[in-house]
Amino acid sequence: MRRQRSTLWQLVLLAGVILLCVFPFYWMVTTSLKTQIVALEAPPVWIFEPTLDNYREALFEDGVLRTLVNSLIIAVCTTLLALLLGVPAAFALARFEFRGKKDLWFWFITNRMVSPIVLALPFFLIARNLDLLDKHITLILIYLTFNLPIVIWIVTDQFRGIPYDLDEAARLEGASQFTIMRKICLPLAMPGVAVSAIFSFIFSWNELMFGLILTRSDAKTAPAMAVSFMEGYDLPYGKIMATSTLIVIPVLIFALIASKQLVRGLTMGAVK
Amino acid sequence: MTLKKLLCSAAIATALATGAHAQSDGWSLAKAAEPYKGTTVDVVFLLRPGYEAIEAMLPEFEKETGIKINIIKHPYENALGEQVRDFVAGGDLDIALIDLVWIGSFAENGWIVPVDKIREQYPDIIDPDLDMADFFPLTLDAFGTWDGTVYGLPFDNYSGLMFYNACMLKDAGFDGPPETWEELKDTYGPALTKDGKYAFALQSKRNETQSADSFARVIWPFGGSFLDDNFKSNLMSEGSQAGLKFRQDLMQYMPDGIVAYDHAETVNAFAQGDVAMITEWSAFYSSVVSPDTSAVADCVEIAPEPKGPAGRKPALGGFSLAVAEQADEAEKAAAWLFIQWATSKANAKEYVERGGVSARQSVYNDEELAKSKKFIPALVESWQEGVPEFRPRFAEWPEITEIVQEWGTKMMLGEVSTEDGAKEIGTRMEEVLDAAGYYDGKKPLVQ
Amino acid sequence: MRGQVSRRTTLGFIGPAVFGLAIVGIAPLLYAVWTSLHFFNLTKLARVEFIGLENYWTVLTDGVFWQAMGRTFFLLATALPLQIALGLGIALLLHQPGLTLVKTLARLSLVLPMATTYAVVGLLGQVMFNQKFGVVNQLLGGANINWIGDPTNAFAMIIFWDVWQWTPFVALVLLAGLTMVPGEVEEAARLETNSWWTILRHVQLPFLLPGLTAVLILRTADTLKLFDMVFTLTRGGPGAATEFISLMIQRVGFRGFDQGLASAQAVILLIITIILARIYIRVFYKEV
Repeated sequence: MRRQRSTLWQLVLLAGVILLCVFPFYWMVTTSLKTQIVALEAPPVWIFEPTLDNYREALFEDGVLRTLVNSLIIAVCTTLLALLLGVPAAFALARFEFRGKKDLWFWFITNRMVSPIVLALPFFLIARNLDLLDKHITLILIYLTFNLPIVIWIVTDQFRGIPYDLDEAARLEGASQFTIMRKICLPLAMPGVAVSAIFSFIFSWNELMFGLILTRSDAKTAPAMAVSFMEGYDLPYGKIMATSTLIVIPVLIFALIASKQLVRGLTMGAVK
Repeated sequence: MTLKKLLCSAAIATALATGAHAQSDGWSLAKAAEPYKGTTVDVVFLLRPGYEAIEAMLPEFEKETGIKINIIKHPYENALGEQVRDFVAGGDLDIALIDLVWIGSFAENGWIVPVDKIREQYPDIIDPDLDMADFFPLTLDAFGTWDGTVYGLPFDNYSGLMFYNACMLKDAGFDGPPETWEELKDTYGPALTKDGKYAFALQSKRNETQSADSFARVIWPFGGSFLDDNFKSNLMSEGSQAGLKFRQDLMQYMPDGIVAYDHAETVNAFAQGDVAMITEWSAFYSSVVSPDTSAVADCVEIAPEPKGPAGRKPALGGFSLAVAEQADEAEKAAAWLFIQWATSKANAKEYVERGGVSARQSVYNDEELAKSKKFIPALVESWQEGVPEFRPRFAEWPEITEIVQEWGTKMMLGEVSTEDGAKEIGTRMEEVLDAAGYYDGKKPLVQ
Repeated sequence: MRGQVSRRTTLGFIGPAVFGLAIVGIAPLLYAVWTSLHFFNLTKLARVEFIGLENYWTVLTDGVFWQAMGRTFFLLATALPLQIALGLGIALLLHQPGLTLVKTLARLSLVLPMATTYAVVGLLGQVMFNQKFGVVNQLLGGANINWIGDPTNAFAMIIFWDVWQWTPFVALVLLAGLTMVPGEVEEAARLETNSWWTILRHVQLPFLLPGLTAVLILRTADTLKLFDMVFTLTRGGPGAATEFISLMIQRVGFRGFDQGLASAQAVILLIITIILARIYIRVFYKEV
């Protein structure tokens, strides 16, 4: 009897949790399907005739499509670059002994914690001197400040889990460390690499402040675009929510794919 | 008959001759633009009706000239930062969009080109019908001129106007809008604030809106000002304090949370029929009378802003367009051609019909137009007199406005008294002006 | 010895990453330090001059910086306990046996808020918390609460969204801790007592501690970084009610254009962050 009652309670509470997590998304999507007049109705209406006009307008008239493409290019490139630089570094950190290793770790993790505004100010001035404002490459590079630490942390962890005995034979045969990494360890570390790639993508895709300050039109990212709809003279709520939906869908899909490792990624490996 | 014909052709000949004198070989936009075909001009536009109007007319210009106008749209709040960043970076904006309070900064930094320099350098692209005297002198002075030099042509032009909901006023027993600010507060305020509706809304969000639309709007009509003749703070003066205290009092007839209201929220509250009166820029006319965005379109009437003890001192704001110094030769010429076209006498009527507010005096003589746009009489009246330094236009304004915004909202929220707040603004403002060199004679006292 | 490789090999592996991060991470910082020692206003670049530590002096003595800092830590002090309490509750709920399908669904739902673009959370807040046509007031039974325009309410709203977005994170971290408790230990404890509190304190807590400390420090760092959501929701308003440290620096640097002062503020923020990161490393990565 008691058991059943507590199960019932558990069910109700879990349902509440699910509802609270999902409801804002429901509201976002339904608002995106409202015309401006319906969206401004007070109190808000729950049943109405949906329209896709907001999406059409946002995507094709206001150029949200282009900013989504920009975000995609930037997120993919910065992720690839972070992997290219980060995986060998992670291998070294996991397997080599060298001086200053501890300080290097410290430095990498500090980067994860630094407020972007600390870097945004000087980066803007430097980009300005080098004529790098409003270019994709600028964001691709600066996103390394948070992507590289993530890749290094997760992948190092993964490499550590690979026993030395595995490549003992190869080493005796005189294979270089690079060959060992590429041929033997990397295939085994693939899950970690994939997870770190997904994280790198999510963080880059979600980033706002650098996008806001370092781009203007050619390389403008989708979140920066969504913000620029605010404070017009008629606040197009439906369109803002349509743009928000378009921005959020890809990351949600990726996050669900990586849901099992999400916690590990967000805590940089502190929690396994 | 023949005599008449003769006279006619003589008249035409004379007209042609004088015309020819001015334009040597028959000026036309297409011809003037010929050497600059294919040039792309980059410009920042706001998300406001006047910009949409010109955007709709743009294909005509592009077709005639072969010049491509690349518009980058921003909300007002980002427009200054965007442009400053582009100019210091030597970016690719070819035209500066200048709010009246930015002109000192833009001019002193050498980011914009004086009109005379364009005339000198590119005599062939100057429209003989440019007619600078046709702009309302106040708008040309305030929006386009700094320290006696004209840089920009008035493009998106504002005066503060009073928009009122005649239906609500009538229901409360008023035949017309209040004449004075006191009347608005003491008579209209209590009568119209009931059943969840409010008499008035004064947009006061902590950004330029707070300084321009809220703070400055109450100090001037009561005889106050930001600075005295020596450029010291004048905010502790009787007039300034009276204005700021008036604003505190008036808040009881405004919606809660007015300090979070920007233009959009205010116009929206008015358009939804929740607020009976607002003082807003002329540029918002088209959104309050359009049935698509306004539930009270039929009730909207427009008057000049109320008077204060010191007279009618309506809010003044507006944007001019100027050629950017960083543009290359062809871009400069193409930019000028666009600016000249967008602000021209010839296009003024269409611009106004599509929702823009032109600064051309001639267009408002058009009776047909005056009939369809109800804001015209009030606007013309407001522009007859006005305070160009409604907000000081010097290069220090971006710093000073931040101070006014911070302490202005604190006053409204009751976190500081009007005296303490004004003192604080005064001290900080004088520090900025001191550092800039106004007090040791390094800089002329120009605002 | 295993792990001993030539310096050249080490450098070959680690060099590119270090070089890359140095360019994008360290060079700007050095530049920021340089800027912070100058009068450096974007709209007055003709007047750049060395002024020593004056900007730092201004930051340290100006109330605005410390108020923003205080506000930031106040947010942390109110939101984090809520997140931990709710997160722990959810974790315990998910740790109970049974209801596998619902639990899987709940776990997946929890992933959504964490991954959501922060800027979008702020935009959503604007729509849902609008006084008139917002759904929150409707769900509160037609309440007429002014969320965005009232300083206290606006702060409460920021707390709500921070809790909404990050409680799932805390819950999943703690759940990971709970699953580390060896099954037989927990079983044995359950035979002895019925009190969930006793079990939590004496059996489960030791396994939760690493996760809790991680949460504490990461949330601290993230609150210092907090920008996107507040920027899109309240822009720091009304007044300065929700102007947290990163927003304030952004305002000084890119709206007041005083990059010198903003750089000094950023450098001080960085120092505070580094101290926190030191603690973090001490606690978690002892083994390195």
